Amino acid sequence: MRRFRLDRRTVLKGLFGGAVVGVALPTLECMLDVNGEALAQGRPLPKRFGIWFWGNGVRRAHWTPNGTGPGWTPRGEMQPLIDAGLRDWFSPVTGCEIKTATHPHHSGMSGILTGARYHQLGTTRDTIVTTLPRQSIDQYVADHVMNDPMTRTAYRSIEAGVCRFHGTDEGTTFQHLSHNGPNNPNQSEYNPLTLFNRLFGMGSASQEAVARQSVLTAVQAEIRALQGRVSATDRTRLEQHFASVRAIEQRLGAPSGACAAPMRPLDGYPDMMGQEQIEQKNRVMSDIMALALACDLTRVFSVQFSTCGAGTVFWMVPGFRSGMHQTCHDERASADPATQQPMVHAATTFTMRQLAYFLGRLRDTPDGANNVLHNSAILCTSELSEGYNHTNDEFPILLAGRAGGRLRGGVHWRSGTRDNTSRALITLLRAFGHPAASYGVGPGESNAVIGELLA
Amino acid sequence: MRTTVRRSLLPLGAALALAACEGRLGSRPGDNTNPAVRTDSGTPVGDGAAPSDAATPTPDAGEPMFPPFAPQAATLHRLTRAQFRNSVRELLGAAVNIPTDLELDTQLYGFATVGAASITVSPRAAEQFEAASYNVTAQVFNNPARRMALVGCAPSAADDACARGFIARFGRRAWRRPLEMAETERWVGVSRAAAGAYRDPNKGLEYVVAGMLQAPQFLFRVERGESVPSIPTMRRYTGYEMAARLSFLLWSSTPDDALLDAAGRGELDTAEGVRAQVRRLFADPRARTTLTAFFSEYFKLDRIGPQTRDRMLYPLYSPALVASMIQEFERIVGETAFGDGDLRDIFTTRTTFIDNNLARLYGIPGTFDATFRRYDWPANAPRAGVLTTAAFLTNNAHPVTTSPTHRGKFIRQFLLCQPIPPPPAGVTTDIPPPMPGVVQTFRQRLETLHLQPPACAACHTAMDPVGFGLEHYDAIGAYRTTDNTLPVDARGSLDGVDFRSGRELAEAVRNHRLLPGCIVRNMYRHATGHVEAESEAIVIRDVERAFSTQGYQFRVLIEALAASDGFRFAANGG
Repeated sequence: MRRFRLDRRTVLKGLFGGAVVGVALPTLECMLDVNGEALAQGRPLPKRFGIWFWGNGVRRAHWTPNGTGPGWTPRGEMQPLIDAGLRDWFSPVTGCEIKTATHPHHSGMSGILTGARYHQLGTTRDTIVTTLPRQSIDQYVADHVMNDPMTRTAYRSIEAGVCRFHGTDEGTTFQHLSHNGPNNPNQSEYNPLTLFNRLFGMGSASQEAVARQSVLTAVQAEIRALQGRVSATDRTRLEQHFASVRAIEQRLGAPSGACAAPMRPLDGYPDMMGQEQIEQKNRVMSDIMALALACDLTRVFSVQFSTCGAGTVFWMVPGFRSGMHQTCHDERASADPATQQPMVHAATTFTMRQLAYFLGRLRDTPDGANNVLHNSAILCTSELSEGYNHTNDEFPILLAGRAGGRLRGGVHWRSGTRDNTSRALITLLRAFGHPAASYGVGPGESNAVIGELLA
Repeated sequence: MRTTVRRSLLPLGAALALAACEGRLGSRPGDNTNPAVRTDSGTPVGDGAAPSDAATPTPDAGEPMFPPFAPQAATLHRLTRAQFRNSVRELLGAAVNIPTDLELDTQLYGFATVGAASITVSPRAAEQFEAASYNVTAQVFNNPARRMALVGCAPSAADDACARGFIARFGRRAWRRPLEMAETERWVGVSRAAAGAYRDPNKGLEYVVAGMLQAPQFLFRVERGESVPSIPTMRRYTGYEMAARLSFLLWSSTPDDALLDAAGRGELDTAEGVRAQVRRLFADPRARTTLTAFFSEYFKLDRIGPQTRDRMLYPLYSPALVASMIQEFERIVGETAFGDGDLRDIFTTRTTFIDNNLARLYGIPGTFDATFRRYDWPANAPRAGVLTTAAFLTNNAHPVTTSPTHRGKFIRQFLLCQPIPPPPAGVTTDIPPPMPGVVQTFRQRLETLHLQPPACAACHTAMDPVGFGLEHYDAIGAYRTTDNTLPVDARGSLDGVDFRSGRELAEAVRNHRLLPGCIVRNMYRHATGHVEAESEAIVIRDVERAFSTQGYQFRVLIEALAASDGFRFAANGG
């Protein structure tokens, strides 16, 4: 086994656009055993569970790889991942479908995040209003992580967003990714500077900590007192409020570790000349997230590159004038699937380049003897397959990372029988080490792990 | 007893005219076909101690039938971003800068207040509220003059009379009711802990303020109602709860001392007492700002910002122009809705407000700058009212074309409350490019694509021909006489009223019998934070009746709504 050496330059390389910055090392160095394979106390290295999401699906003809098993070759839209040297770091899962599909965006989003049908609040305008019926899979994992004192981290989860445009349908399903429950989303942070300040801002002075603690205690007492007086529904809402305040309190008492601040992002990356700085924002968000994971600030994360049904304007694609969702509908399909919808194809390829940057950043961030990507299990997905006809079959799924060695990369697994997308979810949960016997609800439930993807 | 339905009083009666749209257009709560009981709420209520008499049928033949009134359950309403901002400024002073790093509102049924009745405080939101609370509090307490203005005395100990008096005073304003004994002691405890840590009694009060702003009693509008012995079937919102309901409705902010005092004296337990306070609040400039914002939300103007326009086709389009558009819309509403005039005149008024951006877009000669100035359209100008503003026209258009469908749909769905079902599953909604060699207007293309195939025409007949009336205004609201070199044809008909232009269409909307009830319905949703149940249809009808029999004055609508049973009562249990 290779002896572990943490090279300061390796950590820094590429962070914040390659600038050499004053970043402290991840906390792990002094705590590792001689092989760098585990923490000195015999505890395993941290594993992370994450989601990287983009809206409006893919062009199937450019997505589904040729061949299955380890010997597959990519088509155009996965090429950016191959070009970044990530071929062995992810496995495409194709041929699965959402088993609870009734509305392309809402069903796809709810199905892939909860394994269940969306919770419909009502109908409005020309569409439906929904929220997720239960916590999303990232929060399901966060429960597991936070319930164990050995794996608990300062932040229960971290949510980042990149493209600023939100979907236009009402209801939290369309607007947000991570959910604690119905109408209870964890909104993504879209401003890199804000995310930076939140995670790497200055800690409290001790007298301030004492005073803040007394406030948090009083606020929790107020919530408990109020809970006794309201309806059962409102009691549940206040229970979330209580848990949210409690999380602040727990961080207050936790040692801040050796993770000092990296260089601040220059700003929040506002539009320039009316053009969204998508690539720059994605880079900085990815850099911050990689460092947050390396520092073990959280073990659960999501990156909402774009929302479901997003109207992101991919201005860098020639001819792209409208929002992505509208373009998926409007750009004409031709008889030859290989050449149809060139703008949608180019925008999707661009999106995969952003995913490649993110995964590459995790791979290049050391973590024990390996790297953060090695110790992560990441669901990369969208809310539908084809933007053009809004289908929920042939769902685009990539399982990225190696979950500390439990997840196999570089394998194309294809269902020939229109399997449940929840098979990918339960597979990822098991790779992560979650004890769940199955995942999903009703027709969305599955206990059938994809054995070929587990090492 | 069944009575004949008089269609003119059914808010959605005209939906029947559109029944071809798969029989679904027009279904709504209250549009029931089998009411068990015919009732009348018999407003106005004199003593206000009891809800309007919901048990006495009035033998007034020719009325639609409504189920008996029953209110919704009381709930917690989380403050919206605007409510948080305004409340903090009200409590700590107008000079306070409010951090923008706060969660987005959750809009449901078009209104953030409806979403606010179901959302909670996520871990991230709790962090944001904590940070914002310390930020705003420090702004005040780090400045001795501002601190003195807020606290009113100099505490010599964390729990002396000055500190205790301030905690009680501030708590009453922030939590919109007097503190209970245990609550006061709890926050005196916070004051002691913080003052002890810093050895400074002012620090104690600083942390009390920051903490009270993080408490659920501030972040949520807590409503439970109280039992009133004479009305066992429902609960009445307490005086303090009513104070907050009124002030958040009219000011989007926490109640002032006068309102809390009125609540303390029991004046808000009666409809008359509520009316008196509504009149006072309505006369305040804050009401104009808040209720104008209601119309912006009602018209979904927050959706203009994210929209794109083709740069070659619309070189004038810019974020600055969008900001000017929204301001024009709000100024028209503010000018028209708050006098003694007819609220419906927002659709026909020739008075508008223009800056240099809009003057260029509208082609108005003369010198303009960034200051908005009143401008009256000449009698023969092609514009009048909000439907011909760039804000409305841009918001309901596509990046490269107008959208008669969206414009017509907005009028149907949101101004006349006629729901239109979504396109059938599997249908391709894209509009193919013009056929080579065929010169057509966009209208002519839609007439072929939307109005000829029966499956499409079923619904598009209700939308596109209405939107055709606005074809003289392009995708950013500029006036045009030709489309694709051919003359624009803006003729059409709205439920039997013919029009030849956008102004005539606007006139038809203004005079449409469904408009007043639809405005009331939307205001009711916004005000109560929920979508009305069938058992509330009668309240909406009564408010509409008061509104329409008193000159369609906006103040009458607000007063009747605020004093209505639907706003003052909650269901038992929950």
